[in-house]
Amino acid sequence: MLTDRQPRSFLDPQSLARLAGVPLVARTPMVGGVSGRHASPHRGSSIEFAEYRKYVPGDDLRRLDWRAFGRSDRYYVKEYEADTNLRLCLVVDTSGSMAYGSAGTTKLDVARRIAGSLGYLAAQQGDAVGISCVADGIVQSLPPRRSPAHLRLVFDVLEAARPDGGTRLPEVLHELSETIRQRALVVIVSDFFVPPPELERAFNHLRFRRHDVATFHLLDPQEVGFQFQRPTRFLDLEGNTSIFADPVDIADRYHRAVESYLAELRRIVLATGIDSHRVLTTDDVEQTLARFLVGRASGQGARR
Amino acid sequence: MTFLQPWLLVALPLVSLPLIIHLINQRRFQTVHWGAMMFLLSARALSRGYSRLRHWLIMLLRMLAVAAVILAVGRPLSRGWLALAAGGRPDTAIVILDRSPSMQARDRDAADTQLDTGRRQLAAAVATLGAAHTVVFTDPARPPLELDDPRALADLPSAGPAAAPADIPRLLQAAYDHIRASAAGASEVWICSDQRANDWAVDAGAWSSLREAFAALPQPVRFQLLAFPQPVAGNLAVRVTAARLERRAAACDLVLSIVVTREDDGQPSPQPVTVPVTIELGGATSTVEIVVTGREAVLAHHAISLGAEAEPRGHGRVSIPADTNAADNDFYFVFAEPAPRRTLVVADDDEIARGLELVAGIPPDKSATAEADLVPAAAVATAAWAEAALVLWQAPLPEGDAVQLVEAFVNRGGQVVFFPPTQPDGREFAGCRWTDWTAHPEPLTPEGWRTDEDLLANTRGGAALPVGELVITRSCGLTGEVVPLASLAGGAPLVARVATQQGGIYFCTTSPAPRDSSLASEGIVLYSLVQRAIDRGLESLSAARQLDAGAAAAVLGVAPASWTKLAGGALAPVDAPGMQPAVYAREGRLVAVNRPVVEDTARILPADRVDGLFQGLSFARQEGRAGGTDSLVQEIWRAFLISMVLALIGEGLLCMPSRQPARAAPNASPFGAAA
Repeated sequence: MLTDRQPRSFLDPQSLARLAGVPLVARTPMVGGVSGRHASPHRGSSIEFAEYRKYVPGDDLRRLDWRAFGRSDRYYVKEYEADTNLRLCLVVDTSGSMAYGSAGTTKLDVARRIAGSLGYLAAQQGDAVGISCVADGIVQSLPPRRSPAHLRLVFDVLEAARPDGGTRLPEVLHELSETIRQRALVVIVSDFFVPPPELERAFNHLRFRRHDVATFHLLDPQEVGFQFQRPTRFLDLEGNTSIFADPVDIADRYHRAVESYLAELRRIVLATGIDSHRVLTTDDVEQTLARFLVGRASGQGARR
Repeated sequence: MTFLQPWLLVALPLVSLPLIIHLINQRRFQTVHWGAMMFLLSARALSRGYSRLRHWLIMLLRMLAVAAVILAVGRPLSRGWLALAAGGRPDTAIVILDRSPSMQARDRDAADTQLDTGRRQLAAAVATLGAAHTVVFTDPARPPLELDDPRALADLPSAGPAAAPADIPRLLQAAYDHIRASAAGASEVWICSDQRANDWAVDAGAWSSLREAFAALPQPVRFQLLAFPQPVAGNLAVRVTAARLERRAAACDLVLSIVVTREDDGQPSPQPVTVPVTIELGGATSTVEIVVTGREAVLAHHAISLGAEAEPRGHGRVSIPADTNAADNDFYFVFAEPAPRRTLVVADDDEIARGLELVAGIPPDKSATAEADLVPAAAVATAAWAEAALVLWQAPLPEGDAVQLVEAFVNRGGQVVFFPPTQPDGREFAGCRWTDWTAHPEPLTPEGWRTDEDLLANTRGGAALPVGELVITRSCGLTGEVVPLASLAGGAPLVARVATQQGGIYFCTTSPAPRDSSLASEGIVLYSLVQRAIDRGLESLSAARQLDAGAAAAVLGVAPASWTKLAGGALAPVDAPGMQPAVYAREGRLVAVNRPVVEDTARILPADRVDGLFQGLSFARQEGRAGGTDSLVQEIWRAFLISMVLALIGEGLLCMPSRQPARAAPNASPFGAAA
């Protein structure tokens, strides 16, 4: 199906082949343009019975349930669930902080792998894939489309993404909430170095627009463990500020700040009901994605 | 605080080593491009104040540890918390000892006297200081004693107790002369004293010149006073104020006046105490009890019968039971037949001569005999000079052989009072010369006179002589170096004294004639002056003399081998004659040497008064107690090492990481399962 022969550094064909066995499904009904494998809020022509409805003039007579008419002498139309395709919106944080990676792999590298793999898997099952690279605004954006050529464009955008600028993720998410026209699966790949209250409002906004929101929270082990020994000048990747600190003195309080932040994020995830996955840059991306796909597959069929 | 190795203190800048290492570490920082700045910023905001305080505390403790090590190797000495004068090992340690009787005091529960304690503590202190030379001054009249080993000071026989008062200004002057003469280096002068007023003579003019002299010395001189300023509770002193023979028809009595003095220990109303006074006389002992209700009790005219065949002279001792000061529990006395109060009157005016003869011939006591011989000026060579106590000379000043006669008389201890002649002729004697008579149309009265000492002093009861009531209508000019005892308006002397080694030479610039003054009509002043001069002159004639220790050394030191010690002198046998309480005899004459009367009543000077004497000099004081065992100077490097250990322990405690909740390894996912 895909005609992209250009090798992409963030795609592992063998890993993709293993992950292809698990479908990528939405946890909420999607409104797609074509038939697909995702639940739709509308009635359709699938084999899954939905409900009986009284006949009204104009209904297709082929959908009239004659057996029900024979039993009750009333006209009922038999309706079935509709399956439709998915609109996958990948939101990749390309702010300066994503350039950090203590083990050689930056957070942006991991973000590319996750976003690329998910884009590929979605396109494989006929879903539309779009991408937005965000930093202190929307740096680049492609709307979701189903064509394989569009997937190539998505990969090009991923490959060209460079970490730069500050983070205004909440504002960007608010903007995307309004600009994504129909219900979509919004996958956000970021380190979320923003104030948690602002993030909570952005997630609520997405949920209000009936988007299925999934997040991959990327962190570097050093950002969590803070295992520096010598006095260090920390240069901000997203600005010109610098902080000079003796890690021995500050590590304690740094750890407390991280724990407080993560606890707040955990509360937000539970409150907003989003699908959140925290990923260290040293983690295996394939396992992360497998966990993500399996988790969603177990909740398949939810209709609203 | 001083140091035995002060040069090691040059390493003190090493105290800044932790600071320098800290700064170097700050320079050796690494630069990291960092994304999670929000955590870093909040971490810095969290309890930043405590972190900084802890940081600086650690730095301070490290610096303290280094400082303690350096100070410890400098071998610090403790000199009490008040003596913080900086300094190192002195070149010369000078010890000035106050050996006066009051230094023999001891606490009730202590065996050592103040002097013993002071000597022991000073010996240890000087030995610890390790001065190159140790010099001990105990008596300004004797050369200082240089010690090879300062510890010998504790047992030095010549530094033992004495009956004489300590003359601290003179001892300091001797110390100054020694420093100058020996070209000593940095010197440390230790003074051990109980701050008695008579020993320190704080009003003496010598102190200001001493201060200036020491301040001008090129080498540094530090003064350390080991003071014993506590009054001694319950100390009693006994003395004999008069011992005379009274012959009656068939018997002879020794009449003693005994005074018991109680030390002023600050109690407003001391309890009465009965003191048994033991009198030893010619091998016989008798005891008489004296009740002391106040500060002083007097047993006057206590007669002891000696029998009709008694010796015309003798000696004895009074003593009281042992108390907190053993040095004032005994008093030696001597007695003899009183010498006749013989006066020679040499006058060129008959009227004046008769007046002077009358004044000199009336004895103050009915038991005494007084004689006044009129001697013509031309016949002075044949007069009885050897038996006279006083010469009243109202004639042209001596010349020729008369000069030698008068000088010999004065050197023997005789007294001469010169009145102006009728016709001054320009002769000179003892550096003085009469000039011309001056008539005062407005009679003059004396403006001031010495009431504290000499012939015009106040009476024993404290009453002043009526010198101010004298009327002077004519006076004669006097040139020469004299010390005025009474002065007229304008500063001219009325009565003056010429400084002499022995005896006394006085000049009175007016005569007793009614035309010149009211000396004869207001006869109290003239009579007192003449009788006091006779008393002074009799001292050299009497076969029994009571001498103060110290002053007695001048008398006994003329021919020390000719004196035989009859009693006493056991406190410090090596001391010079005249410094210890004793009885001496020579050629039928007796001398009793005892502590001066001021030793029994001298008050203790307040500390600020003594400290003020060393104003402008490097001075520190330490106060001791009799029997005290504390060291004045001791090495305290152990305290610094302990400080260093404590500083390091504190530093370690502050550096210990605070207890944290168990955290997963950073490589593992710290979040657990996904939400």
